[in-house]
Amino acid sequence: MKKILIVEDDIELSKELKLLLEQNGYQAEIVSDFSNTKQQILENNSDLVLLDINIPNENGEYLLKEIRKTSNVPIIMVTSRNTELDEVVSMSYGADDYITKPYNPTILLLHIEALFKRIEKNSSRLRYRHIELNLEKGTIEAGTEEIILSKNELMIFSYLLKNQGKIVTREDIMNYLWNTEEFIDDNTLTVNINRLRKRLLDVGLGDCIETRRGQGYILL
Amino acid sequence: MKFRSFIQDYLLWIISVVIVGTFLVLFAIAFKCPLPFILFLVIIWLLFPIAFFLSQYHKKKAFYSSLLKNLEQLDHKYLLSELVPETSFLEAKVFKEVLWEITKSYQEEINQYKYSVEDFKEYVELWIHEVKVPIASSLLIIHNHKIKDSQKIVDQISRIENYVEQILYYVRSENAEKDYLIKPCNPRDVVNKVIIKNKERFIYDKIKLEIEPFKQEVLTDSKWLEFILSQIFQNSMKYRSKEAKIKVSFLSQDNEVQLKIWDNGIGISKSDLPRVFDKSFTGQNGRKVTTSTGMGLYIAKKLCQKLGHKIEITSEENTFTEVTITFYQNEFYDVVR
Repeated sequence: MKKILIVEDDIELSKELKLLLEQNGYQAEIVSDFSNTKQQILENNSDLVLLDINIPNENGEYLLKEIRKTSNVPIIMVTSRNTELDEVVSMSYGADDYITKPYNPTILLLHIEALFKRIEKNSSRLRYRHIELNLEKGTIEAGTEEIILSKNELMIFSYLLKNQGKIVTREDIMNYLWNTEEFIDDNTLTVNINRLRKRLLDVGLGDCIETRRGQGYILL
Repeated sequence: MKFRSFIQDYLLWIISVVIVGTFLVLFAIAFKCPLPFILFLVIIWLLFPIAFFLSQYHKKKAFYSSLLKNLEQLDHKYLLSELVPETSFLEAKVFKEVLWEITKSYQEEINQYKYSVEDFKEYVELWIHEVKVPIASSLLIIHNHKIKDSQKIVDQISRIENYVEQILYYVRSENAEKDYLIKPCNPRDVVNKVIIKNKERFIYDKIKLEIEPFKQEVLTDSKWLEFILSQIFQNSMKYRSKEAKIKVSFLSQDNEVQLKIWDNGIGISKSDLPRVFDKSFTGQNGRKVTTSTGMGLYIAKKLCQKLGHKIEITSEENTFTEVTITFYQNEFYDVVR
């Protein structure tokens, strides 16, 4: 499980952030003592740091610069300052990503996910029964057979797969697709789901996506 | 300064010279002085005052006309006290001193206001950054705990968020110099960002979106543009009709790029159209929808002006509204870069 370190001085916010990350399959830890933040970050051994720019006793940008002298740990700067200049400065000091408060929780998760994906390219294969989903190539592989999916079909399938066994609403799926700049409407979603079902039928997986009337879809 | 008005100013003095002169002549006649002596007396009596009078006129005329010329040429009239011409007569010196003192005291007064406005702006910015923390926490809490009717609460929080953004950019548009950074960026990326930020609204209200692909870059501050576009999109969502549709298209020609946001909403009436960018103007639509403050487009226009973009709006009631932002690609930006 990936470990994420939260450096944020607002207690309520950091507690909720921890909860959010834990609900989404990460292990989260909060820095509560800001007397020696740099040392704590360096010694924590986390896979990712969410660093707030305004922390007690120190300036986040300066701290980032100091950390970068010795460590390459992925860092996402989180801040309520939202000028272009702030972003440029943070990125030039070696931040991997920059996100402004107040953030939409799903967008924050998406940024984290994208950053991890960028770091480890080999995690882009997902297994489902006898098939394998290759996110990089956008294909389903069943033995020696390979079927190409459209971007939307790929995104929908990977989202269903991530939530396997749970009902996902149409809004959830659309939300997920919109986050990746695919602004589809209701009808297009229906069409895409049907196409995806057909592709799955081609590799011998009929009826694995069930429609729950008035609720959404479920991948069995 | 006219010669006549100068004479008027010295009229009493002139009259007294003439009266005393007349008395002198009458005295001389009474004492039976010879005529040449009387003539000599008159000439001597008049020569010095006239010489004095003319030299005074010359000096003052030179002073005042150069003063008035300076005043006319100055952009900032209050700087006149620095440009009072050097001269030798007393009034001018007093005048200069008085002017200088007045200017100084006004300057101090204005500085005081400047500082207090500056202070206030700083506080507002700080306040905005602080209030964003509880907003972020609230969004997280709603997301984490799946509260009932959460979409409605999220909507209300987005409204708060938008108002907070508005005041932030209002403050920034007032003292902008230090706050923007012009860089090349693809306007389509910014459009996408704004849509993703407001996606819940779009999905919830089933608004159809059509966005043209676009590969070219324009020179702008992407954060500012994001705010401007988000005001426009929010209007499109607020004043939508049934089966709402929003189209974003791009047009590239010569030295400019146009970004058009079209919607099939309720439109703007002809009489309201010229005033939509005015401060606090809400118009007929504002009265239909209760949440209008009339600040969004006003701030958007102000930011566009600072960035050197042009923003225009065309509309037909009950048919469509189209906002066009024009980005220029010219020497101005070469300098800024």
